[in-house]
Amino acid sequence: MLIERCIGAYRLRRIQRALRHGKVTVICLILTVVVLRGTIGAGKFGTPEQDFLNIRDHLVRKTAEHRRVLEEIQPQQQQQAKTISDSAQSSGSSSTSNANSYIEFDINTILKDEGPEEKPDPSKPYSLGTKISDWDEQRSLWLKSNPQFPNFIGPEKPRVLLVTGSSPKPCENPVGDHYLLKSIKNKIDYCRLHGVEMFYNMALLDAEMAGFWAKLPLIRKLLLSHPEVEFLWWMDSDALFTDMAFEVPWERYKDSNFVMHGWNEMVYDEKNWIGLNTGSFLLRNCQWSLDILDAWAPMGPKGKIREEAGKILTRELKGRPVFEADDQSAMVYLLATQKDLWGSKVYLENAYYLHGYWGILVDRYEEMIENYHPGLGDHRWPLVTHFVGCKPCGKFGDYPVERCLKQMDRAFNFGDNQILQMYGFTHKSLASRRVKRVRNETSNPLQVKDELGLLHPAFKAVKLSS
Amino acid sequence: MGKDAFTPQKRVTSGSLPTTTTNGGGKYLPGRVVPRGRQIKKTFNNIRITILCGFVTILVLRGTIGVGNLGSPDVDAVDQSIIEETNRILAEIRSDSDPTDTEQPPDAEINPNVTYTLGPKIENWDFSRKNWLESNPEFPNHVNGKPRILLLTGSPPNPCDNPIGDHYLLKAVKNKIDYCRIHGIEIVYNMAHLDKELAGYWAKLPMIRRLMLSHPEVEWIWWMDSDALFTDMVFEIPLSKYTNHNLVIHGYPDLLFEQKSWIALNTGSFLFRNCQWSLDLLDAWAPMGPKGSIRDEAGKILTANLKGRPAFEADDQSALIYLLMSQKGQWMDRVFIENSYYLHGYWAGLVDRYEEMIEKYHPGLGDERWPFVTHFVGCKPCGSYGDYPVERCLRSMERAFNFADNQVLKLYGFSHRGLLSPKIRRTRNETVMPLEYVDQFDIRRAKH
Repeated sequence: MLIERCIGAYRLRRIQRALRHGKVTVICLILTVVVLRGTIGAGKFGTPEQDFLNIRDHLVRKTAEHRRVLEEIQPQQQQQAKTISDSAQSSGSSSTSNANSYIEFDINTILKDEGPEEKPDPSKPYSLGTKISDWDEQRSLWLKSNPQFPNFIGPEKPRVLLVTGSSPKPCENPVGDHYLLKSIKNKIDYCRLHGVEMFYNMALLDAEMAGFWAKLPLIRKLLLSHPEVEFLWWMDSDALFTDMAFEVPWERYKDSNFVMHGWNEMVYDEKNWIGLNTGSFLLRNCQWSLDILDAWAPMGPKGKIREEAGKILTRELKGRPVFEADDQSAMVYLLATQKDLWGSKVYLENAYYLHGYWGILVDRYEEMIENYHPGLGDHRWPLVTHFVGCKPCGKFGDYPVERCLKQMDRAFNFGDNQILQMYGFTHKSLASRRVKRVRNETSNPLQVKDELGLLHPAFKAVKLSS
Repeated sequence: MGKDAFTPQKRVTSGSLPTTTTNGGGKYLPGRVVPRGRQIKKTFNNIRITILCGFVTILVLRGTIGVGNLGSPDVDAVDQSIIEETNRILAEIRSDSDPTDTEQPPDAEINPNVTYTLGPKIENWDFSRKNWLESNPEFPNHVNGKPRILLLTGSPPNPCDNPIGDHYLLKAVKNKIDYCRIHGIEIVYNMAHLDKELAGYWAKLPMIRRLMLSHPEVEWIWWMDSDALFTDMVFEIPLSKYTNHNLVIHGYPDLLFEQKSWIALNTGSFLFRNCQWSLDLLDAWAPMGPKGSIRDEAGKILTANLKGRPAFEADDQSALIYLLMSQKGQWMDRVFIENSYYLHGYWAGLVDRYEEMIEKYHPGLGDERWPFVTHFVGCKPCGSYGDYPVERCLRSMERAFNFADNQVLKLYGFSHRGLLSPKIRRTRNETVMPLEYVDQFDIRRAKH
């Protein structure tokens, strides 16, 4: 009323009308912006739907993905910890019983890195190490001056170093380390029988080549540090030996430097990304191998290089899904595009399972036991059963958890039975951890021969100087 | 949302319904009665506006929350059931149950009146073994001038009570693989209970016997606990010292004979020669082992006779001490109680001194200056509870592991970034002549 007297009724009405218009305009503007944001999104601010999901995730911790999750059994463990600490309180003081309990102890509270982090020089292109051009000469000179470290330990038998490894930190999955332990026992058994030396790696030599590429700097370093080794046998930690009696046919590879399981047509003609497998391969200790490692490495450095290389590989190779560059696809690409450079010394073996994809093998173990015998190494009794995609150490694999772990147990027992039969035992079943006696003790143990002849096999016999 | 815009207008028009959305309102006459037809039209207009507003609201809400939320209760239920299934699988794997448990009836307990035996008595093992070695010259008992040694170790077949236990078992195996590769020793990792009567710490006895009889080419069998780590990668056991002995074990003779202490010897790391004497000792050692009433009763005898022993069932270490004490004349002339180097080194007095050792001494000594073996007795990382605080145990185990690993990595030009770090750093640049470092740093070459 006061305002009306100041400016006049007519003007007041006009101002009020303008204000109304203004309000309506502003409200419509807000509405439009909100609807547009809801539909199109606003760059990095995302859509309201994404906001909502973020808030929901923050408040209600979402965990699983379909059929692939391996979680810490937090609620169960907490319950267990409670019941154990409750019962322990009756015997000792509560503070010490908790300090002595391994349940829910986080190892990361102990681990500590000292010293500066090594940062690679971004201006320099990546290289595995200083280029060496005369490795064959250097090595043969060394072997001549060191006759006590021959590179051949038998007439046809080269000195072999089996290399495998895993992360220095505990697995994310609570049973992952147990399966790694079983896997290493399996390899120890095969290597003891066949006179193969072992190297278990738990160190990341080059932070840029992390993940599946970590084997490249390691292999190079081992080749150069062990000139007495003739063949380096890389084997993934998720690959198990299932034929303890099969000896690799070394004479077949006397003119080859790189032996992988695969098919020539699938690599050179089809460029199929699973035409070969780099989970289990043999590499000769020579200049050629150093050169192929140098040619293999460039797609490896993590970050932009690996991402871009992954796109090239997906485009060029048949059947490859979209993800960063991996060493296997890079090798297929390298061989397919530079066949004239490398092909003559690469042997793609498929007469036996130097690598055997587990999916087609694990269900047939009973059938194999019934119809065949160890020593064949092929589809009838595979040398290696390789659990590609299972990733027992991580939280997420490509296959259902139950199938992977149960089948790994079966494959382990299948191989272990061949070891136990040397001593007169076998597992009660392929799924069982318990063993039973199959051969009675005798007072003349040396008269007894084990069925497979693995106690004193020919491939372990020492070279006799005549 | 649209309705809010109209309230000012509503107030101004003193009660009558608004007419249009955009038009500010137009002329009005306060106090005038609105005719009925107009009222109906106004109602329809209002309804139209309401529907329009409702439509806009839904549109905006859809943009905000999205339609994907329509199935959310089901998705959560599916996820929950998958988590439960995975937990069930993991619990099954980590339990002690076995698919064959239902197949066979439980075996009857052993007859306590009959002395337990490891197997049929073997009388002439030395003779049989010598014959075998002569007829099989391609499997000699000496390799590269050294007697053939077989390292035996092991762990239970099921996962540890907690994941960190399995991780340290894995690290311990790697540590043993490294030492044995450098020194040309073969490893047998046992994960089977060969004799269910002798389970637990007694399980090594049947396995040692079995390996001796199956591998006559092996001269020495070296048992090592899974919680013992090599910390001197250069030191080699001086086997020439033991040509007249058949059992090499770490301990203290005064603790054994004068004080009769239950920790006079340590059976976490010892060597047995492959001979008749060893088979006889194993046969004499085993009777206190069978689980159940025998082991419990034996435990009482041991606690009564050994100084400082707590009350619990018979363990292999106490039983061996009691055996050697009471049958001294029969066995002791062939037993070498070693304490000039740490064939077994109790961890508590050693792990804090690693930095001092690195500064003052060098590998190859094997004794208190640079211990050969650091043995983590009492830590029990595979169980749920240890005898010491967990943090101390795991920290010390990590330090011991890295202390040893540094000696292995030296050949490759790397070292850990601290004794508690899993990461490594370069200590030597790459070179075009790697073999000069091989000559310098390879432990095997240094000895020859």
